[in-house]
Amino acid sequence: MSRSKALTMADAPYVFNKRTTSSLMWAMALALMPALGWGVYCFGLVATLPVAASICAALAGEAIASGLRRRFTLLDGSAFLTGLLVGMAMPPGISPLIPAAASLFAVLVVKGAFGGLGSNWMNPALAGIAFSLLNWPAQMSAWSLPHQLAGVSAVSGASPLSLARSGSLDFLGAVKTSGLDGTITDGLNRAIFSPLGADLPGGYVDLFIGNKAGAVGELSALLILAASIVLIARRMIRWEIPASIIAAFGILTWTFGGLGMGKGFFEGDILFSLLTGSFLLVTFFMAPDPVTSPSSRLGMIVYGAGVGSLIFLLRAFGSSPEGSAFAVILMNCAVPALARLDVASSRKRGSRLAEAREGGGDNAHR
Amino acid sequence: MRPSRTFRQGGIRIEADFEWDQHGPAKNAFLPNGAVLFLKQHAGKQARCVVRRGEYVREGMLIGRGDGPLSANVHSSVPGVVRDIRMAALPEGGTAEAVVVALEGAFDRLGRKGERYLWKSMGRVEVLSSLRDRGVVDTEAPGIPLFDLLGERKEIGLLIINGVECEPFMKAEEYLLRDKGAEVREGISILMRILSPRRTVLATSLAQAPSLPEAEGESLELLSLEPKYPQDMPRQLLEAVDSSRKLSLEDAVILRPSTAFAVYEAIVLAKPMVERYISVSGAALKRPSVLKARIGTPIGDLIEECGGFLGPPARLVLRSALRGHSVYDLDVPVTKTSSAVIALDSAEIGSQLKTPCIRCGRCAEVCPEHLDPDLLFRLVERGMRARAAELRLGDCTTCGSCGFVCPSRLPLVSAFADEARRGREGGR
Repeated sequence: MSRSKALTMADAPYVFNKRTTSSLMWAMALALMPALGWGVYCFGLVATLPVAASICAALAGEAIASGLRRRFTLLDGSAFLTGLLVGMAMPPGISPLIPAAASLFAVLVVKGAFGGLGSNWMNPALAGIAFSLLNWPAQMSAWSLPHQLAGVSAVSGASPLSLARSGSLDFLGAVKTSGLDGTITDGLNRAIFSPLGADLPGGYVDLFIGNKAGAVGELSALLILAASIVLIARRMIRWEIPASIIAAFGILTWTFGGLGMGKGFFEGDILFSLLTGSFLLVTFFMAPDPVTSPSSRLGMIVYGAGVGSLIFLLRAFGSSPEGSAFAVILMNCAVPALARLDVASSRKRGSRLAEAREGGGDNAHR
Repeated sequence: MRPSRTFRQGGIRIEADFEWDQHGPAKNAFLPNGAVLFLKQHAGKQARCVVRRGEYVREGMLIGRGDGPLSANVHSSVPGVVRDIRMAALPEGGTAEAVVVALEGAFDRLGRKGERYLWKSMGRVEVLSSLRDRGVVDTEAPGIPLFDLLGERKEIGLLIINGVECEPFMKAEEYLLRDKGAEVREGISILMRILSPRRTVLATSLAQAPSLPEAEGESLELLSLEPKYPQDMPRQLLEAVDSSRKLSLEDAVILRPSTAFAVYEAIVLAKPMVERYISVSGAALKRPSVLKARIGTPIGDLIEECGGFLGPPARLVLRSALRGHSVYDLDVPVTKTSSAVIALDSAEIGSQLKTPCIRCGRCAEVCPEHLDPDLLFRLVERGMRARAAELRLGDCTTCGSCGFVCPSRLPLVSAFADEARRGREGGR
């Protein structure tokens, strides 16, 4: 066989979708860059410190874990993404040691010790965030205002969520608003809300754009939502989980959220609740982590509803104003149970299909 | 407008990384200097060799006689001298005897206008035995001889002529329908005469339905289906064609247009199955085209005729990029069921790095059989066969959709194929 060439043999299929696990991870990290960039713009270069420390620690942790497992996984993007998400949840002025410790814990203990990517049962980034919330509660709530609100130097201020939690009735009034907020709110009121007989109070536009005190990467709802829309459209995030979190959380907040503020039923402030704290980042980037969430549609919806309800409960009755991280971790524990729903729904679909194909005829080819 | 009718569950879209070179009709490939004719190009046992080394054979002369059920006659595709009879590796695995014919002498048929046989006066049995004599097999793997496939079937519910090509690597059926529409149509008429189906459908994945001549007293429905993979597989085809969902696969016969064309040649021109249309494509090729090639032509010859490789191909595949076989050798010959030769470059293959499953659920989304490949894979890996069978592993057609989308590149399809093989061998 003179013309024989050494070609590799393998089983079908021989062509593949371009998307791999690591391209997925890197795409998510890339999508988060605008939100992080906004945080750096607001707080100055000092805000890059916790993020850089967190990413470095995560990569170091992955290097150790991959050395122990003798499998090179450093560049699969998973550890980078974990580090990035942990860093983005940190207050801007925090000591870099805290995010570094959190990321090491996330990558080495939560992910590495269970066997690495795909084997962890708890979202590593959220575990890292929860780790620092529990160990350094004071530092984790040392918020500062963006410089466009505070003047030249960053001044420490309470985050909108903690203000609301402290029982201040007029929490939006307690938050400084920017000139931009006033302009846009006025414009919106004149163009849309007044003709409808409604009135948008000042402050929401700042919350939406990200003119508020908060964590480095969680400021701008606008940029996080834009990134999420892109990732959902490219089917990198499954929409079922965020949608059911928002639905459950929104309904509970609207129904009961007003009670704590001295208002009645059905007077909760959904918009405020959705736009503050780490809600959006957790909802779109951490709760739908495929490794730690169910994979059937029914399972995802139950899981999302659980997360949304727990976020509401933890925010309303928990010891800290933010409960998103713990809510997702608690639902992570329920995923093995929810996996039974996956199997059940797969079997149900199967029997429906068999029925549609009329019994015995479906095993014969032609 | 893109056709939108299709099967319901799952499926994938495969985008092409290359452009077809050709606009006119399919080119005739050069005749092979040495045709390698496998005596097994069909589902059943290898045909019995009826020639000896050194013997002179004419074009279309019988060289192997079908041996029992599912075995078919094999004819020489070129005139020449039998240079060798040897065992050779079949592309789909295993070995079989092959007759090597060195091209020599004159052609009886090439370039001559043959006589037309009037099949309308022939009886059903006569037509079937002609098909058997001329070695006509289903052009879709595994190549069931039409005599066996059609012999017991009569007054069926549905005859589907499957012109659907949902992989970007395939265009042979499309070319055949365009170049030889009238011949394919007459082949369909013969098939309709044998099967007397209540309904006959020509399904394609073309935006524009092919124009075929009308035949008196017959109705052939033309149907355009969305080019979604695996639309060309039996269950998905039936689901898209039979919208009432009353028929099962047992009521239907599915054949390719190329099979109808072979039937036409065998019955009307009394010509044995010695050539076929074949797609030669893939991003590693200079000029991807559809060729009409003699059975036995080495695929290396076809690749040369398509301008050769652009660079070193990452993989050579026969028949289908999702459920075909990879070959390592350019001397592998064209057989009756070789519908495509695909030379893939490394970009088409993409990353081969296996990573752990992240349970993204894409495999279950695309599975056309409503299975949960991720769960089945874990069960198979742990040897939990009964549980896997309970979750309908037996329904897997190894179409390859789950493997195509898996971002972790898990060997899902080979695990399921191994399991199916084991099941067959175990006599389940």
